[in-house]
Amino acid sequence: MSALTHAHSNPHHEHPDVVGSRNRLGLVLILVADIAFALSVLFVYFYLKGQNVNDMWLPAATDDQVATTPVSSTGAWYLTVLVGVGLLTHTYALKGARVKNQTQLVLGSGIALVASVLAMVYQVMQMSAAPFTITWGAYASCYFLITGLNTVHLALTVFIALGNWNRSRLGLYRADHWHVTIVRVWWTWMFVSSALGAFALSFP
Amino acid sequence: MSDLETQKRPPVWKRKDVQQTGILWVIFTLIIGYVVSEFQVRTIGAPASSVMATTIQMMHVFTWAAAPIAGLVAAMAATTLLSKHHYGDTPPEDADHEIRNSPRIAAAWIVVSALMCLFAVVWGMIVLQQDSESILDSKAMNINVVGQQWAWNFDYIDNGTVRSEDLYLPVDKPVVFHVTSKDVVHSFWIVQMGIKIDANPGYVTETAVTPNKIGIYDLRCAELCGLLHAYMQKKVHVVSQTDYDSWIQNQGGQA
Amino acid sequence: MTTMMERPAAAPGSAAPKKALIERLNLFTALGLGVASAVVVWYLAKTFLPQNTEESVIKTREDQVVLLAMIAWFIGFMIGIGAFIGPFRWVLGRDLSHDENMFYAGKDQGIKRYFRYTTDHKVVGIQYLVVTIIIFFVGGVLAMLIRTNLGYAEGGWLHPQAYNAIVGIHGIVMIVGTIVMITGPFGNFIMPIMIGARDMAFPRLNALSFWLVVAAIPPMLSAFWLGGITTGWSAYNPLASQAPPGMDGYIMFICIFAISTMVAGANITTTAVRMRAKGMTWNRTPIFIYGVVASVALALPAFPVFFLSQIMSALDRSLSSTFYDVRGGGSGWLYENLFWLMGHPEVYVILIPAVAALMEMAPVFTRRPLFSFNLAIMGIAGISGLSVLVWAHHMYVAGWAPLLNGPFMLTTELISIPTGMLFLVLIGTLWRGRLWMTMPTASIYALLWNFMIGGITGIYLSDVPIDAFLHGSMFVTAHFHYTLMGAGLTGALASLVYWFPKMTGRMFDKTLSWVSFCLVQIGFNVTFIGMFLVGLAGQPRRVEAYAEVFSRGNLITTMGAYTIMAGMLVLLHGVISSWRSGAKAPMNPWFAKTLEWTVPNPVPLENFEVLPVVTSDAYGYGKAKS
Repeated sequence: MSALTHAHSNPHHEHPDVVGSRNRLGLVLILVADIAFALSVLFVYFYLKGQNVNDMWLPAATDDQVATTPVSSTGAWYLTVLVGVGLLTHTYALKGARVKNQTQLVLGSGIALVASVLAMVYQVMQMSAAPFTITWGAYASCYFLITGLNTVHLALTVFIALGNWNRSRLGLYRADHWHVTIVRVWWTWMFVSSALGAFALSFP
Repeated sequence: MSDLETQKRPPVWKRKDVQQTGILWVIFTLIIGYVVSEFQVRTIGAPASSVMATTIQMMHVFTWAAAPIAGLVAAMAATTLLSKHHYGDTPPEDADHEIRNSPRIAAAWIVVSALMCLFAVVWGMIVLQQDSESILDSKAMNINVVGQQWAWNFDYIDNGTVRSEDLYLPVDKPVVFHVTSKDVVHSFWIVQMGIKIDANPGYVTETAVTPNKIGIYDLRCAELCGLLHAYMQKKVHVVSQTDYDSWIQNQGGQA
Repeated sequence: MTTMMERPAAAPGSAAPKKALIERLNLFTALGLGVASAVVVWYLAKTFLPQNTEESVIKTREDQVVLLAMIAWFIGFMIGIGAFIGPFRWVLGRDLSHDENMFYAGKDQGIKRYFRYTTDHKVVGIQYLVVTIIIFFVGGVLAMLIRTNLGYAEGGWLHPQAYNAIVGIHGIVMIVGTIVMITGPFGNFIMPIMIGARDMAFPRLNALSFWLVVAAIPPMLSAFWLGGITTGWSAYNPLASQAPPGMDGYIMFICIFAISTMVAGANITTTAVRMRAKGMTWNRTPIFIYGVVASVALALPAFPVFFLSQIMSALDRSLSSTFYDVRGGGSGWLYENLFWLMGHPEVYVILIPAVAALMEMAPVFTRRPLFSFNLAIMGIAGISGLSVLVWAHHMYVAGWAPLLNGPFMLTTELISIPTGMLFLVLIGTLWRGRLWMTMPTASIYALLWNFMIGGITGIYLSDVPIDAFLHGSMFVTAHFHYTLMGAGLTGALASLVYWFPKMTGRMFDKTLSWVSFCLVQIGFNVTFIGMFLVGLAGQPRRVEAYAEVFSRGNLITTMGAYTIMAGMLVLLHGVISSWRSGAKAPMNPWFAKTLEWTVPNPVPLENFEVLPVVTSDAYGYGKAKS
């Protein structure tokens, strides 16, 4: 067994590409867990819809309360588009980082931040505008599960987009920009996950 | 497996450890097969339906099929344990070979285990098929079973509207149970007949059996259902057709 | 949110207070802040939450209060330990400096670093080891209560409610203990050194995964005072929706623990994939690494499903949603599916690293190469792949989809093929080796014996008609104890003795290891053979009293259980006495060839002065015949 005698005297100075690819793998693995979670949510939705136990997927009207009417999925698709805008502007920012265009980087990540905030606000508005509460049958419960998951995802996105914008603004990505690359992986998953939610809600 | 090894390299036959393993293999296989089947026969007790008889038979066959594998591993382990070994704080000398692989043995092992697996699956499927067909038997009598915390109710729907907390069954007559629950998940288990199905709130599940021996058997709840789960049990009375008819009339139903 | 923002924001003003904040946070600030937040939120919720409406059947408000208080505890604890400093410093664009990172790694802090958010993988490994021992101690005491209660047929001295609570807490405590028992202590301490790395890929996530486990434990233990987890560890709905607020402790525990496994899974997998030493190609990577990675990688897709099932359980309890309530269109089968989608991969999460650890030791103690390294990898990969396709064998008799019983029987029985490969690797390595008899060596034999029994009884249970007889009986309990305890725990105890010298710098007392091994293994087999007996005779699981016919088997089981207890106490004594005053361990007491034995005791902060370059695999024992 031979040994290296130089070059690694300070382990904290690894090449940015090495660190970047390692971090990207870490995020992808965490996303595996998140994807499993989101797919389980879809499973819950379609399983309960398929079972329709006691005809209570969408309960009919009773003496106490009106029938549960499904929410149109248009709102969920609008939300997906909004997240898509975030993804595109973030990609624009990443392109800026690649060509060392600081203005494009800050502008792109700034708009992405705004998109994430708007998306979250829009999602919360949709939840509060629903014509039923979580207790009104299986569809209602699932509706709040899907929108709730989106809200949590978007809150995390706001946090990440805020950091990304702030760090761009401070010029921390001048030397290397693997953070921006990784944040785009997250944005892509946000786009897919909101599309999945909208897809499910299209089949009430 | 050692057969293959030996066919390839004949001198190996004559190795002491291989011969010892071979003898132990036979002995262990017989011991394991015999002891485990006896253990099962003695503890399970006499079956009260053909379903249960088949179940016991399957367990025996699986036992005897698995015994050679377990016997081989045990024989090899015993042989290595019987060989010279070393205690102490420093290691013994290295072994006198550096064998890292044996594709033939590995392949044989995989093929044998795949065949055993196939056998178990196919046979299981056949029995499973018979069991599922018995649910569709149109000549069978039907009983609705309702589990609730912590009691069972039986509706003898073929005999009018008889509801009872006791389970009486005529001998040699196929019966289909339609099982549901009022509150939480219970499991309807008639021990000596070898049938079990969960009682789920909101759903009806089915299981079927033909009791073939007059006697008193055990019905137990097999899914934790709260405080008195341990006491959610009943006796099952399998009686002759005449006794059954008089019992059901006593309960206010028609035979 | 504001408090969280203020803390890191206040810090970076100048160099001195910046360090001060990190230095000030430790386990005690975490406990203080956690308890304080919980009490405040509990009081506020109790005061301001709306009263129950008359028709609410389930005690919704009580659950809301308990859940909110537990969430507050969780957030308070994590702030108090300093888990949020890293992320907020990232947002603020003030990344941790080299000195701060070294502080986080526990440089020059002595004993204090074990009570902090320390990122050094060796500290995390020791922390996990201690916590695992505590978890097993609690679970073991509960097991003894169960067995004592079941000593006589009608002599149960525990109230049924207390008994059910004990069974549930024993179950979940032991499950979590066995999940972390190898990947926690040894996966963290040994694994990075074994692959020639200076630390984990993400040291802060490593600390996070450990402190999440710590944060998760109090909610679960609080179940003792909140009515207990009376549903068994599987917490089936709708039974769980009836259960007392102790159930909220279970839910909270699972949610936090799921995050911990996710973080640990991503971290350990990335480390093994990206951080291996130069020259350590995949066919030179020790088999233990494969075992650990398979285990944590399997947990990655499995635990989120469990996480979701518990979130829905919490919503049902606190907000009266109707995921599992059939009156509102919910389904108990939904819960069962989600639960077992996690539940079955989870048993392999426990088993694989234990078997892999023994495979790692087998060549060392037989002084010959590992037999068929490739077959071992195929076995591990095969089990991992199939394990996500077998969940519904826990639901053969649930009636949810009788037509799927056949396919699930097929996938379940297919698992016996890769499992058989693991047997062949172990027995093949023992064959024609030069046996060095130590406690780990004997553990390999014990594993073969126990796992063979666990495996063959598993073939009975995988068969639908036989399962219709045995499901839900003590037979099943005995079967899974044979796999998780007989195989899993045996591997973990062997790992403890094997790696103890590297982790503590002292040898594990030889006599004590043998005494405890014999007591535990004999006691174990007596216990669970007795349990097979009553299971075949028809005793259901999780019962607090049983019919007279089962007396003999239960008495045997209880006597065996006391023998295990004696063995475990001897082991505990061994751990404590050897750790305090055992013989000083040489650098490589087993004369093994993996990299962790090439670093001195105690292992220096960044493990390797110069990073090693690997030129062969670690199994080059044996002499070539001329």
